[in-house]
Amino acid sequence: MILTILAGLYMAWNIGANDAANSMATSYGSKALTLKQVIIVGVLLEFCGAFLFGQRVTHTIAKGIVPVDTLDPNLVILGALSALISAGIFITVATYYHLPISTSHSIVAAMLGFGLAVVSQGKMDINEIGWDVMTKIVLSWILSPIFGAVLAFTTFTIVRLILFERFDVESVEGVFRYLQVLTACYVAFAHGSNDVANATGPIAAALGYMGKEAPVWVLFIGALGISVGFATWGYRVIETVGKKITELTFTRGFSAEFATATTVLLASYLGMPISTTHTLVGSVIGVGLAGGISSVNLKIIQRIVASWLLTVPIACILSIAIYTILVIFV
Amino acid sequence: MRFIRSVSDVFGYSPFEDLRKHAELIAKAVGLLEKQFEAYRRNEMDEVERLRDEIDELEHKADLIKEEIRGKVTSSLLLSVDRHDLLHFLEVQDGIINYCEHVGHMLTFRRIKAPERIMDEFGILLSKLMETINEYEELIDHMSKLIASSFSKREVKRALDYVKRVETYEHECDLIQIGLLNMLFNSKMDPIDVYLAVLWVVHLGEIANYTARSADRFRIMILGRR
Repeated sequence: MILTILAGLYMAWNIGANDAANSMATSYGSKALTLKQVIIVGVLLEFCGAFLFGQRVTHTIAKGIVPVDTLDPNLVILGALSALISAGIFITVATYYHLPISTSHSIVAAMLGFGLAVVSQGKMDINEIGWDVMTKIVLSWILSPIFGAVLAFTTFTIVRLILFERFDVESVEGVFRYLQVLTACYVAFAHGSNDVANATGPIAAALGYMGKEAPVWVLFIGALGISVGFATWGYRVIETVGKKITELTFTRGFSAEFATATTVLLASYLGMPISTTHTLVGSVIGVGLAGGISSVNLKIIQRIVASWLLTVPIACILSIAIYTILVIFV
Repeated sequence: MRFIRSVSDVFGYSPFEDLRKHAELIAKAVGLLEKQFEAYRRNEMDEVERLRDEIDELEHKADLIKEEIRGKVTSSLLLSVDRHDLLHFLEVQDGIINYCEHVGHMLTFRRIKAPERIMDEFGILLSKLMETINEYEELIDHMSKLIASSFSKREVKRALDYVKRVETYEHECDLIQIGLLNMLFNSKMDPIDVYLAVLWVVHLGEIANYTARSADRFRIMILGRR
């Protein structure tokens, strides 16, 4: 059990270090916030989002994919642990190779792997796996970047047609500098609310809580892990990524962030574990389609689709393997 | 740096800064041409040759930028202007500096003997050319404003005004050229001198023509946006 919590903390640290940092790098890239300010905003609002609004997605990952209530609690602990370890290994390796993978996709696939392993043990029927929930989750992975793109396109088009046509560009940008501080907070909050579940979902499953609400302290641990990851490694990621995103002015950054945060928060409300990073990429493309960015690299779409196709089988098989080893040796 | 996953890959190569640098080199080359002609009048042929080499070097640098833009503007980029319009514009803009190079060489071929009023008229043509290219450079500099405002109507109109002014200057160059040719063919100069001077006029005229054509391609590019 302690191992599961530790693995969950590593997961949360990873989320804070890379995913949270990526979502916040836009604010640093456009110079709406200084590095210090980004870190303060990130640490505080990621924590709030995770702690206050992380329940629903946590529940989906804990109980939506594998019906843990019907299984032997000891097996569930092993399963949750193997899901966290396999997702953790996969994420670490993929990050090393700069692949645009998602922690959410990894943990969902790893939980599915745990479910399939239990089926192969003969302790559960394959139909008992939450296939309807899985379908919804996969659908949300496809829809979230598209939704982000549409929303960002609309937002920036409004800015363009109403504000740029009537006022001086510089003065519009000046106002959006402050608005972008708000959307930066919004993104951090939304990101925390969705991605915390990647760490807390398996922990909650291992604890075997009753009903729909995971214990509050689990969310607290997840939220803490994200904040610590953000503060200890995230700033380096923000510096590196932010330097490359200098093309986003305040209006563009605002549009992309607003669209991303709204999409992610909506997904959190629906209990869907989606990728904030992929949604952000979708939103940036949306701003590009609205004529806000001089050059968008469409190859990234291929890379993201490839990362989906890579993440699901690998994280799934890795989880099956680790679970099998744990069952044999423990 | 390892252990980083990044969204920054979504931002593609933007060719507009390189296009501006390319235009800057061209304006510099025309400026050198004016200097070269003054040196020619002062009979400082060493200086004339040195300036020819300097123009050659600018032309080479411009070629490198052109190649870089062509190599990087791939079809997987979603640009704010049409890719073909952009490449076509670049092709024409590059033509301006090619003609600068030609004229730079032609000034080193031979010392011609011409009446002062003809040489004065060449001076006038060159300073008009300089005005044309300066206006053109302002137009290209305006691209950053067009991008910042996402091609707002106001900024597009300003850009179109620049194009019109470039075209007016080009027309004025034409008139000076016609006058010069008239003077040359009715002078008592040595026929070979006349021939070379006519080549100068024609090629200087091409610099103005290509500048106006390039401004026109710029207009087509910004109006032909998605």
